[in-house]
Amino acid sequence: MATTLENPPPESPVHLEEWEQELQKVGLVRRILRARRWYGTDWWFVTISTAMVVAFLVIAIAPQFFAKYDPLGQVGPRLLAPGELPAQEILILPEDSQYNSVADFATGERIPIAVQRETPSSEAARDEADRVTEENAAAGSDERVRLQIQRFETPGEVLDTVVAGDAVAGVMSSSVFKGLADQYPTLQSAGAISSAEQDATSFPLGTNQVGQDVLSRLIWGARIAIIIGFSAAIISFVIGVPLGLLAGFAGGKTDRLMTLIMDSIYAFPGLILAIAITAVLGPSIFNIIVAIAVLYIPTYYRIVRGQTLSAKEELYVEAARSIGAKSREILSRYIFPNVIPSVAIIFSVNVADAILTGAGLSFLGLGLPPSTPDWGIDLARGQEFIRSAWWLITFPGLAVMLVVLAFTMMGEGLVEIFNPKLRER
Amino acid sequence: MVALIWVFLRGSQALRRYILTRIALTLPMVLILVSVVFLVLRVMPGDVVSSTLGPKASDEVRANIMQELGLDKPLVVQYFTFLGDVVTLDFGNSFIGSRRPIVDELGERLPATIELIIPASIIALSMGLLFGTWAAVRRKKPTDYGLRLYSVIIYSMPIFWLGLLLRLVFSVWLNWTPIAGRIDVITNTTLHRTTNLLVVDSIISGNWAALGSVLVHLILPTVTLGLVLSGVFVRLTRINVIETLQEDYITAARARGIRERAVTYSYALKNAMIPVVTVIGLQVAILLAGAVLTETVFSWPGMGRYLVERISSRDFIAVQSTVAVFAMFVALISLAVDIVYSVLDPRVKY
Repeated sequence: MATTLENPPPESPVHLEEWEQELQKVGLVRRILRARRWYGTDWWFVTISTAMVVAFLVIAIAPQFFAKYDPLGQVGPRLLAPGELPAQEILILPEDSQYNSVADFATGERIPIAVQRETPSSEAARDEADRVTEENAAAGSDERVRLQIQRFETPGEVLDTVVAGDAVAGVMSSSVFKGLADQYPTLQSAGAISSAEQDATSFPLGTNQVGQDVLSRLIWGARIAIIIGFSAAIISFVIGVPLGLLAGFAGGKTDRLMTLIMDSIYAFPGLILAIAITAVLGPSIFNIIVAIAVLYIPTYYRIVRGQTLSAKEELYVEAARSIGAKSREILSRYIFPNVIPSVAIIFSVNVADAILTGAGLSFLGLGLPPSTPDWGIDLARGQEFIRSAWWLITFPGLAVMLVVLAFTMMGEGLVEIFNPKLRER
Repeated sequence: MVALIWVFLRGSQALRRYILTRIALTLPMVLILVSVVFLVLRVMPGDVVSSTLGPKASDEVRANIMQELGLDKPLVVQYFTFLGDVVTLDFGNSFIGSRRPIVDELGERLPATIELIIPASIIALSMGLLFGTWAAVRRKKPTDYGLRLYSVIIYSMPIFWLGLLLRLVFSVWLNWTPIAGRIDVITNTTLHRTTNLLVVDSIISGNWAALGSVLVHLILPTVTLGLVLSGVFVRLTRINVIETLQEDYITAARARGIRERAVTYSYALKNAMIPVVTVIGLQVAILLAGAVLTETVFSWPGMGRYLVERISSRDFIAVQSTVAVFAMFVALISLAVDIVYSVLDPRVKY
């Protein structure tokens, strides 16, 4: 059977080259699509991670379309768990009660209602009674809700009174009742006391210690992450690639000195250097970018230098030299284009690393002003509440991980697709 | 150190020459790193004194402090003074707070970091070798994909997040492990410190209660650091074992009827380990960067936490010294790893 794009070869190096040549003839998109059968699971890794990267980019570019709330504004109660409704005043009735809501109290008689002293419960009950009365009046009925409010010291007394039948109903905060409901099996909640409160929203990932929406902050944090990741990677690319080209091409003492410097920086724990740099420069997003960019210059330098060293010996460079091309031309027109593909793949992994380092720096409280919606900062601020609010330390870290994972897997998958020979490793 | 001298004296001529060359190459590396640190902290925009004192300090106070720290001298003089400090390990007194000699404070912090990174490396390396070989043997099977996914995921995890999650589950929810620190406050008072490596100290003094407390405190930080590093080792081992399994001598071994398990573990893994060991030297950077974050999460009083504390108290002399000590530490570890490697693999030459 002939080896065609539709019939990928069995994995043997002989077929591999033929198939590679076939692949060269089609465009990138078709190449990636057709590669699917041969690459199997790897193809899925790349596709899924690319989709994640695209989604992340879209969110980072226009967070305002995705975030429901202002990331800096207090939009709900503090430390509300994911999906939990904010506490509201609810009506508590015995199971066999003839009433279902405050509207049913409109009988003209005084209805005894039990509440706890010094809570908003009594006011909520009165407001709702007035609202029902007005509504009835507007509908042409003169039936009024008249409440006789009885105040007690503890929520337990309130519920006891309702159980004993001394009060028709009780009103209290839903969060208080939740803790006591087990002790009063004959009582049940008739829902929020007013219809306005029934619309109270929950937050899918909860709220933080100042009542900000965790999800909205995560969405805006994507923008910071992408700015740091891309800017740092681009700066180190722009500095590292020419340095590598020059060192590899020039050779000799220049090369040896620069390589020594670059290797020293490369061997040093990047985060510690970045900590030192941001500590001196002071907190700002620009400084954090500079600090991270410095770390990744050696990564580009090393790869480009290595590639330049081998490309320098190639025949086409020899040929260019013999027809009288100047050094600058050889570098920019012959060597540079051949170095680019391997650098482009590193770029993706590099963005991932930069995001990870950036999150680490802001987690340590360096680099960004503390109110910024940033994943590292959110984690650092959330760790104080580790005992009471698990969601504060769970989701920002998950966001960092997903983004880094997407960029890393995309980069590695691209290596395999662009460079099938590596697969045998 | 003793082992190094022993290796040096007993080794062959070539080995001795290699070790000498390697040491000679370490010195410029330390010099460059220390210079980079100096450059970053002094030459970059941003003024050490005003960020220490705040903008309101009077000119007189400023001048006094500049003089005390030697900042009024020309940059070149400052540079050589700093190099001298690094060589003699005398960094002066801490600028803020206790005003103790910085080298004393670092002497307490460095053992804590060492106590953290040694078990972490052991965890990372053993997990890496085990899972890497397993994935290589089951290449392209679900186990392989699962383990590869594990290594990518663990690599992508922010280490401080992993630490926080482990802390949430094991310290807060299950209450199995202490939440932070190196040792219980009460046990701490009973422990006589000699090396500041608390495991060693408690064994020397026979204080078993302290040993238990120290070990329990060690679990989460070392597991956090070890897990994050293990991802790299899984990948490396996998690739190298796959390559080795394709060698002719493996086929020969199989042809002779040697059991597959023996082929994998005693033939392939042994040879695949050589490149993995080399990489340990390169992982030192990741290990120490991870240690800084791990120490912060678990309030571990090591070098990394000292660095972060001193930055927030704006004690730049201490920051500069700490980073310089980190640089020497990195250079020393990679020197040691390379020498061990050259003893293991006789093919290494310079």
